[in-house]
Amino acid sequence: MPVSDQSIDLLVVGGGPAGISAARSAAEAGLNVLLADERPTLGGQIYKQPGPGFTVTDPAAMDRQFRQGRALIDSLDGTGVEVLLRTSVVAVEDRRVVLVTEGSAARTVTARRMVLAPGAHDRPVAFPGWTLPGVITAGGLQTLAKTQRVLPGERILFAGSGPVALAFPAQLAHYGAHIVTALEAGPAPRAGDLMRLARAARGNGALLRDAARYRGMLLRHRIPLRYRRIVVRAEGDGRVERVVHAAVDPDWRVLPGTEETVRADVLCVGYGFVASLELMRLVGCEFDHREDLGGHVVHRDEWLRTTVDGVYAAGDGAGVEGSFVAIDEGRVAGLAAAMDAGALSAADAAAAAAPARRRLDRRRALSAATARLYRVGPGVYELSDDDTVICRCEAVRRRDLAPAIASTDDINLVKGYTRAGMGPCQGRICQRQVAGLIARHHGRPIEEVALATPRMPVRPVPIGALADHTIQGPTLFLAEDAAADDGTKP
Amino acid sequence: MTAGPLESRHWVPAGHSHAPLPSSTDVLVIGGGIAGTAMAYYLARSGVEVTLVERGELNREASGTNAGSFHLQLAIHQLSGQGAEADRERLLDEARLSLEAYSVWKELGDELDGSLDLHETGGWMVAETPEQVRTLRDKYELERLAGIETEVVTGAELRRRAPYLAETVIGATYCPIEGHANPLVVAPLYALRAVEHGALIRTGTEVRRIDVNGDSGARRFTVHTDAGRIDAHRVVDCAGAWCGEVAAMVGLRLPVRNEGLHVNVTEPRPRLLTPMVQHIGRRLTLKQTDQNTFIIGGGWPTPDAPRPRRYPTSWHSAAGSTAVAVSVLPALADIRVVRTWSGVIVFTNDFSPVVGESALVPGFHACVSSTGFTFSPYFARRLAEQMTSPVVSPFPERYSLDRATTGTLRRENR
Repeated sequence: MPVSDQSIDLLVVGGGPAGISAARSAAEAGLNVLLADERPTLGGQIYKQPGPGFTVTDPAAMDRQFRQGRALIDSLDGTGVEVLLRTSVVAVEDRRVVLVTEGSAARTVTARRMVLAPGAHDRPVAFPGWTLPGVITAGGLQTLAKTQRVLPGERILFAGSGPVALAFPAQLAHYGAHIVTALEAGPAPRAGDLMRLARAARGNGALLRDAARYRGMLLRHRIPLRYRRIVVRAEGDGRVERVVHAAVDPDWRVLPGTEETVRADVLCVGYGFVASLELMRLVGCEFDHREDLGGHVVHRDEWLRTTVDGVYAAGDGAGVEGSFVAIDEGRVAGLAAAMDAGALSAADAAAAAAPARRRLDRRRALSAATARLYRVGPGVYELSDDDTVICRCEAVRRRDLAPAIASTDDINLVKGYTRAGMGPCQGRICQRQVAGLIARHHGRPIEEVALATPRMPVRPVPIGALADHTIQGPTLFLAEDAAADDGTKP
Repeated sequence: MTAGPLESRHWVPAGHSHAPLPSSTDVLVIGGGIAGTAMAYYLARSGVEVTLVERGELNREASGTNAGSFHLQLAIHQLSGQGAEADRERLLDEARLSLEAYSVWKELGDELDGSLDLHETGGWMVAETPEQVRTLRDKYELERLAGIETEVVTGAELRRRAPYLAETVIGATYCPIEGHANPLVVAPLYALRAVEHGALIRTGTEVRRIDVNGDSGARRFTVHTDAGRIDAHRVVDCAGAWCGEVAAMVGLRLPVRNEGLHVNVTEPRPRLLTPMVQHIGRRLTLKQTDQNTFIIGGGWPTPDAPRPRRYPTSWHSAAGSTAVAVSVLPALADIRVVRTWSGVIVFTNDFSPVVGESALVPGFHACVSSTGFTFSPYFARRLAEQMTSPVVSPFPERYSLDRATTGTLRRENR
């Protein structure tokens, strides 16, 4: 299968709010833009559209998020942005990007610039029983509800933290789910928090109204929302039957003697999100560490340029701050790419970006106001016991990791010794847990534990799509090779 | 179904590896791959005072990144160009050596008291053209001379015995004693046993300079590292791909170059392939591991990168190597590659290893070979024997550390 090569001004990776907005801004400024997303529809996780086989006959009957998403997606119409769905970016070598569309052979495009907007995924949290059927992440449950319109059980217990702990149970209740309890690991808002929120309210009315509405929905559906409580374990014979939760201190560490058991057949876990770093790590971006934004956060300048020339990052993949921030960041990144490409003057770009920047400042003022409430406690990484499976792909338990971690603080070696992180997910789920265990054993902050060497493919690729039969292999090790260079190579 | 984690294994504790460097040692081993840890083990077992320094972590380069295969079939397609007779002698010698190296491997699990996941799976070397089949037959004749058991299989018998091979494969040789071990555990286990015999192992310790002192006593070498200075009576260069840089510190030029090689690994699938597969005319090594994943390599190149960056992998090599693999084993088509990695391998330009003691710089030793995973246990054991007992026969002249050093050494290093 020969590899075709196409040349474009800008490749946008990710078709969520940040990616759509970046693609649109850059295309409107005259760039030739390709937008790739691995899902069958645009919208990302937040604006996930009903799956193939579903037809929306009455948009007015859908929820507000659906309509906002639809409007955002429709805003690409007429912009000239070429959209590739079911398409993963699997490798990047300088300006050459390898794309794999489901069912087709890999192809390469040469992209002069790239906006990475890969989004985020649920913060993986390992606790005894987290691999039992019936335990599901907030993102997973949201996908089921939004794309397939189904719920996985009768009695759902939600355990999590942050904005999602409020919004999510409320949305699920709206879909008809029976939420037995919602647990928030963080503290209940106090008068001081509400005053800070009020001071940051300017320009954030919609978000705050949403929060109030969600709180109201929980009350209306009589869903108890319990603060400073965390999931301790899930129990059951072959599937979730009971969930044990307990009170925590401000670092989210469990307070002994506070356990309670609840009957539930679904445990939905939503301790916030972490940025999807694979592509940014592969191209060599540098990172900062901010646990509240998802841990590793790509380093960017005021135009959202990463430390790699021609690579920009926007949205939750560059620090989890939600869809409104993503839309505005996407706009700034798209304008930046157009400006750097010479399609926009610096003055025009600055003027066009100004409203987005003003909104971003306000969102961040709101985030600062909620920092106390939504701080992620290190205790979230300390819920596993010796028996808990940490790496699901390779079935590595915590006790298997202990001797390896005692011998080294190098996560690559721990991986080699135990196989943790070698499976199909390539450590996306377990790597932070392993890093947390290394950090604890060696008495270091988690951000100082270097992650495993990033490698392509960023997503698994079938050999049928990957193999290129037109490539002539290098010659075998013959004398001519050797004679060409008989010195030591530095 | 995966084989699960490597339970109940034990590793050299971090506290040991990070302790301060001693001020002196009898033997200083440079490099913590399979050659270095094996040297440390065999020397320590004989009661020699030995210290190993490794600039990064143990087993992180070629020793831990190779595919763990033992290929005993002759690499007849790898000709040195020095003429048929010279190549024939070299190949026969290599064949006998392979058998000896493999016999060390077969006892290694008992010797080190641990599982190395060694499996004798057998191996195919396949041919797709009549010319390649002729080469297979020539190879078979040489192997017979060297005492390596192989057979040439074609036609219906090949289809029957290897139904997974493509129709385009018209012939193959089969060698029943080829196999593989787990490269992730061998060097660490050598290291642990070396420490139990009194060896010191210091990771995160990079050699920056080596002073060669006039006397040949305990302070023959003063080795400067980023973690301090150490005097050594003898030095063994086990730095693999970087052995030339270490040897250059004492004025020697080794006939080596290094190359990054690309490897692919797939998701696991139900057992399909037990023997390993190589190709006589194209770059391919292929096997299904204990974990049921497929590892596809065969010497496809990767670009290099300045340290401390690791060599990247290459899309071109991924697409090319999997094309060879799927054309030989069509069932691979719907299996997904989940990761690629690269290993930096040392190559000697004359295909001979670099093992022994330098005559130009007495006391300076090396233990370096291209197929280091197969050969290092054997070479390390023999070199350690030589260093502890002068009666052991020396290595052949073509292994010499001095063979590429021309002119005179820099005066200060005499």
